[in-house]
Amino acid sequence: MKREVHQRRRHRASNKILAAGVAVSLLSLQMAGSAFAQERVKVEWWHALGGRLGDIVAELVTDFNASQDKYELVATHKGNYEENMAAMVAAYRVGQQPTLIQAAERGFMTMLNSGAVIPVPELMEQQGYDIDWDDFVAPVSGFFLVDGVPAALPFNSSTPIFWYNGDMFKQAGFDAPGETWQDVEKQLYAIKEQGISSCSMALANDFFWSLIENYSAIHDQPYGTLANGFDGLATEFVFNKSPLVVGQLERLAKWMDGGVLQIAGQGLSPEQLFTSGTCATYVASTAAHAGISSTAPFAWSATYLPHEEGIEPKNSTIGGGALWVLKGEKDEEYAGAAAFIDYVASPEVQAWWSSQTGYVPVTNAAYDMLKADGYFEENPTREIAILQLGRGEPTENSRGFRFGNHNQSMQILVEEIQGVWTGQQTAQQALDNAAARGNEILRQYEQLHAGQ
Amino acid sequence: MPDSNVTTEMGGATARPPIALGLALTRLLPRTSESGLKTAHFRKPWIAAGLLAPQLLILLFFFFIPSYKALSLAFVQVDPFGAREIFVGFENFSRLLMSPDYQRSAFFTLWFTAVQAFVTIALAMLFAFATDFVIRGRGIYKSVILMPYAIAPVISGVLWAFLFNPAVGPMAQFIHSLGLPWDPNRRPFDAQMLVIVATVWKHICYDYIFLVAALLAVPHSLLEAAKLDGARPVRRFFTISLPLITPTIFFLIVMNVVYGLFETFGIIDAVTKGGPAGATNTLVYKVFQDGFVQLNLGSSAAQSVILMIVAILFTVLQFRALERKVNYQV
Repeated sequence: MKREVHQRRRHRASNKILAAGVAVSLLSLQMAGSAFAQERVKVEWWHALGGRLGDIVAELVTDFNASQDKYELVATHKGNYEENMAAMVAAYRVGQQPTLIQAAERGFMTMLNSGAVIPVPELMEQQGYDIDWDDFVAPVSGFFLVDGVPAALPFNSSTPIFWYNGDMFKQAGFDAPGETWQDVEKQLYAIKEQGISSCSMALANDFFWSLIENYSAIHDQPYGTLANGFDGLATEFVFNKSPLVVGQLERLAKWMDGGVLQIAGQGLSPEQLFTSGTCATYVASTAAHAGISSTAPFAWSATYLPHEEGIEPKNSTIGGGALWVLKGEKDEEYAGAAAFIDYVASPEVQAWWSSQTGYVPVTNAAYDMLKADGYFEENPTREIAILQLGRGEPTENSRGFRFGNHNQSMQILVEEIQGVWTGQQTAQQALDNAAARGNEILRQYEQLHAGQ
Repeated sequence: MPDSNVTTEMGGATARPPIALGLALTRLLPRTSESGLKTAHFRKPWIAAGLLAPQLLILLFFFFIPSYKALSLAFVQVDPFGAREIFVGFENFSRLLMSPDYQRSAFFTLWFTAVQAFVTIALAMLFAFATDFVIRGRGIYKSVILMPYAIAPVISGVLWAFLFNPAVGPMAQFIHSLGLPWDPNRRPFDAQMLVIVATVWKHICYDYIFLVAALLAVPHSLLEAAKLDGARPVRRFFTISLPLITPTIFFLIVMNVVYGLFETFGIIDAVTKGGPAGATNTLVYKVFQDGFVQLNLGSSAAQSVILMIVAILFTVLQFRALERKVNYQV
């Protein structure tokens, strides 16, 4: 026994020496950089951006840490939005949550009603920052506003746009994609029939967002009752009752049968199908700018999402993530979180972030700054998303979606639509099933959150 | 304590007490069997407890606490953060059992597990049987078969998904060049085949190791006698080796069923994500999807409880049904 204790002591002592050594070397490193570095408060932030976007986030964090000497933001990439959310929820239940979390637009209701968040404006006020919430661009703030103030800071906001391979369109004799789905359909078939490309369009993994939800917004079709859920938890899905939405799914199914539309499947990403020159077009987020501009070896371009012939298109809706502040942290960490939010919301950082990633600038100030620089004249595809988001007067159907547990009903929608791809059911049946099963989820959510 | 060494009866011949004392003790110990192996027990209970403790601790953290958590969540609806919770009784279960989705998933899991177990054992048996007949490069032969075991399930899943990807995969292009349709994204059967091939490939090595070892333990004298009687290798295998290795096969059936039911989830996640249209959504993958991706904790917990019951039932059934036919004496 004695020997054991002795050993343990020695072990502990050696640990101490080691720790001291590490501390000394760290100290000297930090002293070289900044005299007060060792007093920095660590602020944890979990995010969901990987690949090229992840690199840009790392740069953002480094810049923030270099811009001041009080706080050290520690950013961790926890996987995609779902994995990030699951990790955060698990951590929250045992009191190990980060101060800041990036959550997708689909998780808006989950975060809002969680009882686990501090509204960003409240935090900023407590910490003495003054942010002009009116300066946020309308379509973005319209989505995040609850009772006039945003619940979270819109961080990376995007909307789907229509990407195309300019070389292939030229080869097929077209200057650019048509404005309507009808014209685009003719072009896609022509590209296939002329043998220019064996695949005219790659189907994005989030096609439910770009080709179904945004389709219904652009065409002013109600997706759910009660203003798509903005007016209450009693909302019900009605997308299956819109002939236009049903027609859209029928069209996609037809394209798939005709070999015009290609699913990437597991093992490769749809973006790779586009950037490798396999598929001629791709409907996806404007944030794909980061990846496409750095990898596509051809004359790529982008344009607005198509609309139906004879229908005036409305605005599209946003997707992407927002920064939420979680409860249960120390005051100095909140001070750090507020400093970071203030930093991210500043026009310079917004302009830089937007130009690097392809996400839209979320404040008018940042937008104006980019415009004044002539950035959009040089990079016209960067402005498409902003103009498309701000197109026309938003209606109840185009403002966005607020459904409880929307990730669950979305997953069901995808599963039912896959039943159309496999030929097991018609578009109408799939949407009927998806709406019925989705409504069950909405009712469960309403039951759980009654009285809120 | 003069009689302390008697308590285990496993001390071997040298430690055996005088016969008279031994007999006296035998009368004191209830139901001591001949060999004494199964009834050995400890005088000092804390030794037994101490020896059991590590295992019990592991069970506590990885079985009892999670089971308790699952049970407590299975009867409620809860928001992911745990702030709101309402008791719903058996609603989570009835919703599941009524859902065509869940029934389809259960049906797929069953036939997937059965086919996977059968094919894996059959192929592993073939390779194990052939080992004896590989004269040159037996080491290479064995390592090639064992290699998949060293590859992480997700990585092997991604490889299979890529090889058979209908747009770019070389294997898919080969199938297409034969004029056969192949598209695991749109043809449920293709996706199911792909998942089965990937899971079988990953698990053959495991079965192979056990079967090779079992075949080595088959007494050579018996095989030689049969050889002298003129039995050919295949005949010898089926009439002598196979009956003698039934305990191993039984063990492998249990392990393969467990593998198919519970451990294929990494491969499915990488190869098909449960699609298309839920065609390859096994029960365990569904627990993961509903619980960890969709954060529908109540339903996910109810599913794990059902799975736990199924697992217990299956194991009991397998032991009851198969153990009788297994010959443990070599």
